[in-house]
Amino acid sequence: MIEVLCNIHLGKKVRVKCSTDDSEEDLKKLIVAQADTCWNKIVLKKRYTIFKDHVTLGDYEIHDGKNLELYYPIPKSVPLFSF
Amino acid sequence: MGSSKKHRGEKEAAAGAGAGAAGSSGPGTAEQAPRHREHKKHKHRSGGGGSGSGGGGAGERRKRSRERGAERGSSRRGGETEARNGSAHGRERSQVEPVERRVKREKRDDGYEAATSSKASSGDASSLSIEETNKLRAKLGLKPLEVTAVKKEAAGTKEEPVLADVINPMALRQREELREKLAAAKEKRLLNQKLGKIKTLGDDDPWLDDTAAWIEKSRRLQKEKDLAEKRAKLLEEMDQEFGVSSLVEEEFGQRQKDQYSARDLQGLTVEHTIDSFREGETMILTLKDKGVLQEEEDVLVNVNLLDKERAEKNVELRKKKPDYRPYAEDESVDDMFKPRSILAKYDEELEGERPHSFRLDRGGTADGARERELEEIRANLRQQAQSLTMAGPRLASEYLTPQEMVTFKKTKRRVRKIRKKEKEVVVRADDLLPLGNKTSEGDFGSRLRGRGRRRVPEAEEEREAPSQLPQSDDTRVENMDISDDEEGGAQGPGSPETLEEDQVEAELQKQLEKGRRLRQLQQLRDSGEKVIEIVKKLETRRSREEDEDPERKGAIVFNATSEFCRTLGEIPTYGLAGNREDQEELMDFERDEERSANGGSESDGEENIGWSAVNLDEEKQQQHFSASSTTILDEEPIVNRGLAAALLLCQNKGLLETTVQKVARVKAPNKSLPSAVYCIEDKMAIDDKYSRREEYRGFTQDFKEKDGYKPDVKIEYVDETGRKLTPKEAFRQLSHRFHGKGSGKMKTERRMKKLDEEALLKKMSSSDTPLGTVALLQEKQKAQKTPYIVLSGSGKSMNANTITK
Repeated sequence: MIEVLCNIHLGKKVRVKCSTDDSEEDLKKLIVAQADTCWNKIVLKKRYTIFKDHVTLGDYEIHDGKNLELYYPIPKSVPLFSF
Repeated sequence: MGSSKKHRGEKEAAAGAGAGAAGSSGPGTAEQAPRHREHKKHKHRSGGGGSGSGGGGAGERRKRSRERGAERGSSRRGGETEARNGSAHGRERSQVEPVERRVKREKRDDGYEAATSSKASSGDASSLSIEETNKLRAKLGLKPLEVTAVKKEAAGTKEEPVLADVINPMALRQREELREKLAAAKEKRLLNQKLGKIKTLGDDDPWLDDTAAWIEKSRRLQKEKDLAEKRAKLLEEMDQEFGVSSLVEEEFGQRQKDQYSARDLQGLTVEHTIDSFREGETMILTLKDKGVLQEEEDVLVNVNLLDKERAEKNVELRKKKPDYRPYAEDESVDDMFKPRSILAKYDEELEGERPHSFRLDRGGTADGARERELEEIRANLRQQAQSLTMAGPRLASEYLTPQEMVTFKKTKRRVRKIRKKEKEVVVRADDLLPLGNKTSEGDFGSRLRGRGRRRVPEAEEEREAPSQLPQSDDTRVENMDISDDEEGGAQGPGSPETLEEDQVEAELQKQLEKGRRLRQLQQLRDSGEKVIEIVKKLETRRSREEDEDPERKGAIVFNATSEFCRTLGEIPTYGLAGNREDQEELMDFERDEERSANGGSESDGEENIGWSAVNLDEEKQQQHFSASSTTILDEEPIVNRGLAAALLLCQNKGLLETTVQKVARVKAPNKSLPSAVYCIEDKMAIDDKYSRREEYRGFTQDFKEKDGYKPDVKIEYVDETGRKLTPKEAFRQLSHRFHGKGSGKMKTERRMKKLDEEALLKKMSSSDTPLGTVALLQEKQKAQKTPYIVLSGSGKSMNANTITK
């Protein structure tokens, strides 16, 4: 059982207890239980490294006490001029 | 270590004054420095004793803590506690413990200090307790967390986030060095023990320098040798006496043998797979090379096998098999035993090669029982396994296989009726009558007889069929077929074993054919009726002809030859020979009616016979011809009118001997063209006196009214589309016309392209961009009803930071 720290950049930090066999998706779900959002809408990052949903924490080598950052995803292509 | 010693020295000097509480060790500090070095080396030797060692230990500890303390800034406290503890416990304990305790204490110290210094953590971090988390997980469908308390060892407080332990590099390095030194010392000791027995070259033997001693020694040696020989001889004699010499020899020999046998190989590893040893083969195994100082156990290898394995490995590497197999589930059943790990291809690099090996068990043998078992299991699994690959697509064969042929039933061949030989086309009516009756009930010897089906409807059709009288051969054949069918249907239960399906099919076909034939027969019937009529007419006319011929001897008869002759003109010898037969008449039916119409004109001809007095010879002919000429429908010129008319009449009637002259057609002369359009100007004609008079030789003058007239001459050349041409293009056009050939492919293409571009240029608007941006802008403005337009930004310029912060 590990405890992962998630920094929601609005001055809030969330500590989540989970296990290394959990997937990122599960982690997201646990996080949003403490933050008011939907797990679909957030992205966990570590300074530009996005953690994908289907990989487990163990595979990402997220151990006890690791710090993650929570962002909202930015759509990839937005046209410059749109009339 | 030297620097740290210095460091130590300094610190001790500094701290020595202050460490008043550590009284016992106080005076010892100065001395401890040199003693210390030895202590470190031999501290594992001096087991647990001595105040000196204890004090040394404490001092060490103190020194260490002092060092740490110096770095941390809380020296006193740490040092004092350590020293107190050390002095209290150090004497009794062995040296090993303090090391451990040191480590532990350091850790605790670190944690504590980290907690007190409280470096990085900021703010609160909300967190759920384990029970709440478990509830949440249950709701989400995840398994609950396993709670292990060990994980929380180094955490200071629950609230604050845990940082990594602060690493003290100096302490770490020193610890490492210590460990190395210990290990080195241990090894040295062991070696010394091993090698201590061996005399080195440096050792002096007493008799080397002293010759007397040497002589003594050599004599002694000789004596001993002699003695030994004697003894051996004695023993042998004794053995021979007792007759057990052979036994003894055996024993000795065996003992020698027994000294090293297969038993002694027990437990050795052989670094090949058992499979590489084949039955009946002897392979020599040697000890594998290993480093001199390595203490691992011996390994047996065969040199040849080693080389072979290496070669195989190289070949495999050269084959360059792909490392990445994304669909690894396709691997065979054999690999079920191996657990798959992530990035397995790097295991060799990271962890080193692990060659297959097996151990020799008791008695120095090895049997591959276990491996064989594994193989058996694998073979079983392979047999049971079902391959998921389907049979590949094969070309469909165009012909049926014998197996498929069995499913088809044999169709019975229907014996076709031989067609009756066709009679002449001219069919007599008498023949046709009885035919209809014949075809109905005839039995044509068909095999299909006796079916006994559908007799009734076929009977109806059968009745219809024969009612058609005028039957050509075809229709007769058709009828035959129909009657065949009917016959077939009339088959009794003679052959009920015949295949039912075939019958059904054949009957269907028959029905269809019947329909078709009926339709045909209908047509034929109509035509047949026509034929009947014709035949009837033929008959009647034939009978009529024989009657009419004597009547109509004088009537006008047309035939090809007579017409031909008429056009030819009068034949002078006509009728003189008297060979002329009666003209045969082949009836043309349509002309019968005309003949009857023309019958009345006979009488006219006879009136004119009077004029044939000119030529008596002709009179006779005249009579013939007058009969024929009365039928000519053109108007007869009235004889009363005059001679000319009479002559004309005679001529028309052929009474006069006139030879028809053939007038050759005059060909138009080639020389003169029948052209009315031109006139040939004869220039010489100008010299005529009279024509010259009409010439004007005078002074010409411009018109006064048109004085200021300057004609604006604009010669415009146009191309095929109507565009005005530049002089260059115009000249080009002219030269093309002149030479009779235009530009080649490239040139024309280029010209076309240029023209298109010009057209496009003309189409573009002058006030706007090609894409019509201004127009779009204006439209948007109208839509939004604002004089400005908001441009939305792109995603690329925005960063995570800009959004969230």
